[in-house]
Amino acid sequence: MTAQEVRLCGLLLQEHFGDVVEKVGTHLLRNGAQHLRAIVQETGTPMDLVKKSLCVLIQHGACAFSSGRKGPGSPVEYQASFERILRILRYPRYIYTAKTLYGDTGELIIEELLQRGHMTMSSTVKTVADRLTLNMEEGHSMEYSEVSNTFSKLVETHFLQRCPPVEVAGKAVSATPDPATTPGAPANNTTPSTPESFADCYKVPHVTLIGRGKRRNSSEDGEDQRNAKRAKEDPETHGDEGIYWQVNFERFHLHFRDQAIISAVANKLDQTSSEIVRTMLRMSEVTTPPIATCTQALSANEIFRSLPPNYNISRPILDQYLTLLVDDPMEFVGKSGDSGGGMYVVNLHRALANLARATLESVVQERFGSRSARIFRLLLRKRHLEQKQVEDFAMIPAKEAKDMLYTLLSENLVQLQEIPKTPDHAPSRTFYLYTVNQLPTARMLLQNCFKTVANLIERRLFETKESKRLLEKSQRIEAILASLQASGAEPEQLTEVEEMITPPEKQQLESLRHHINKLDSAENQVDETIFLLESYIKAMKRL
Amino acid sequence: VTEIRIYSFMIKELCQQFPQGITDQVIQNDMPHLEPQQRAMAINKLLSLGQLDLLRNSAGLLYRMKDTQTASKMKGSDNQEKLVYQIIEDAGNKGIWSREIRFKSNLPLTEINKILKNLESKKLIKAVKSVAASKKKVYMLYNLQPDRSVTGGAWYSDQDFESEFVEVLNQQCFKFLQSKAEAARDSKQSPMVQRNSSFATSHEVWKYICELGISKVDLSMDDIETILNTLIYDGKVEMTVIAAKEGTVGSVDGQMKLYRGVNAIIQPTGLVKVPCGLCPVFDDCHEGGEISPSNCIYMAEWLDF
Repeated sequence: MTAQEVRLCGLLLQEHFGDVVEKVGTHLLRNGAQHLRAIVQETGTPMDLVKKSLCVLIQHGACAFSSGRKGPGSPVEYQASFERILRILRYPRYIYTAKTLYGDTGELIIEELLQRGHMTMSSTVKTVADRLTLNMEEGHSMEYSEVSNTFSKLVETHFLQRCPPVEVAGKAVSATPDPATTPGAPANNTTPSTPESFADCYKVPHVTLIGRGKRRNSSEDGEDQRNAKRAKEDPETHGDEGIYWQVNFERFHLHFRDQAIISAVANKLDQTSSEIVRTMLRMSEVTTPPIATCTQALSANEIFRSLPPNYNISRPILDQYLTLLVDDPMEFVGKSGDSGGGMYVVNLHRALANLARATLESVVQERFGSRSARIFRLLLRKRHLEQKQVEDFAMIPAKEAKDMLYTLLSENLVQLQEIPKTPDHAPSRTFYLYTVNQLPTARMLLQNCFKTVANLIERRLFETKESKRLLEKSQRIEAILASLQASGAEPEQLTEVEEMITPPEKQQLESLRHHINKLDSAENQVDETIFLLESYIKAMKRL
Repeated sequence: VTEIRIYSFMIKELCQQFPQGITDQVIQNDMPHLEPQQRAMAINKLLSLGQLDLLRNSAGLLYRMKDTQTASKMKGSDNQEKLVYQIIEDAGNKGIWSREIRFKSNLPLTEINKILKNLESKKLIKAVKSVAASKKKVYMLYNLQPDRSVTGGAWYSDQDFESEFVEVLNQQCFKFLQSKAEAARDSKQSPMVQRNSSFATSHEVWKYICELGISKVDLSMDDIETILNTLIYDGKVEMTVIAAKEGTVGSVDGQMKLYRGVNAIIQPTGLVKVPCGLCPVFDDCHEGGEISPSNCIYMAEWLDF
């Protein structure tokens, strides 16, 4: 848990859940697993607020509890998960992906689930149907069954999964876990049970949901409140009580990874090759475990049959494309056998390593120039080189090459390895070799990314704070305008109110909006880099 | 004393009989009555007159008739100069450094410098600046071409690395390979044929560059290959090696190198689209400090862009 990571998590928690949750969350992140009383004492927040914050964090899966380390009977300990909190950064990408794959319905389902953390299927369906109905024309409304369909599709492709059921306090200590009958998390083992370890993870429950979305007009605001209160006491059951669903982030990550690989192939080779790779990845979506080095072997015959119908390329041409993919130095695709017309696999880890390497090279290029990038790539290829060799291979004059190498060294992108010729490491009789280690460099860049995102968020908050007065004024004016319009005022009154904002203030507001948008989109862009580097580091760790 | 002169004469005759040189043994066989001491004196006299060359081979010392032309050149010089000259001659076209001359001849530095200046004025030797260490001067015979390792070959002209020349060559090679790849892609043939036609051998590139005529110096295929390697390190080109029949144009040791222009596999990554990714004072920036996200001037400029 580096300082940068804690800072970033703190900012994210504050933005999404408020100050109290942020305090509790950062405290847990910094100090590891702690029990309730310790949290209360050390953060100085009252007990009930701490409890509420922990509830919020657990609801979103950011905090897990387990029995104390000092043995059974000791108080329960809570541990915050830094990775889960970081995912908040990636919410826009998840929602956008759901939109492209499953349309507006899918987008809203994912959005609701991300906002609420855990929800039952029935409540999700109802809420989404209501929201969709709101945006449709008068007289139309959304069928519950349509939404349920999309929900089931999402579950089938594993984008949604059931939350692992939690053990009840009393039973935990005594009962021996029996996964077949009572899917309860075993209390005594220390390994955290993943959602996938439960058999019914992806089973859609039989839910009786008949009805349509309810339209809520703006004049029914008061009724909305009453409805919300009533919904809590609504005794209507739909047969899926206690079954909560959450978004399966890992599945989204696999999807992003596949997308990155496909676009890399498209850039390097051509569109058809990328389509072939897309087909191969789609076929092995659910059969390949997430940590696999390469996908399952697919025969050329299968690939040929599964190609999208509008890509009618003949079989020999497909074979040629596959051969080209295998021969490519990037080694995206490998050949694992000759049966069935040739067995091909997609080398996932190799592709991730290549993507990470390209990321590192691009950072060096943008930051230090193309000559330094040349030196960097040269060192990546040749592993260890002396000063003189670097100059010769890169064809850069000695003075400039030296300068660039020292700059890269000071930024820790390049390391120096000493090989002494004599036992007394005399500098004149030692070899000094420059080298680049991809994995540690990737880790360092990842930390830089975290710091960058934290900087962007802080800048955004700062900009908002600076113009707070202006924003409040514009909000007030908008409210006045809206109420005037609703009560049917004359145009002169409206223009009079509008002119209360002077043109320079309008400009300021405009530029403020522009800044905030830019900062927001920049956060998303840096998150893409974070994703690539994180996937690479995780893949390397499992080796 | 006159005997010494007669003996020298006889030894000289012997040398002329055996132009490849004679050993002590040969002299002794020819003149068995000559004592070693007198023989030594006679030989020394010839050496000092500059008419005999003293060489050493595995068997022992060898005396050889000196070339009269060079003998005349050296006439004004004394023994030390001759020694230095010999050392420089031995160094061939790589030249020799003045300190090494000192080691080999065991003469004091001042003497060496005087001799070197003398020889240079007589136009017998010349100084060539080495490209590796610009202050170092190596000496070699006047009429010799300095070796490539000293001058740096085609990339150096007068000890300066020709960066613009290298850059121009770099761009030209890349353009050639890129247009070849594009032509292959537009030809819309089967993918295998497309890829193979987008390759160019190093020989083809070399011919193209020679015909372009942008180089005043003759470039060899190896030179072109070093340029193409820099393109590989730029990430713009990839290389494969294929086996080729001996005798096909451009093949070296039964294989040929093929080069092909390629595109990058990703767009510039997200981190560099933000000022922080390129910021020179990134490590000094933290909230509440002098440099912080709130008052960052780079960010302010970037936001207003």
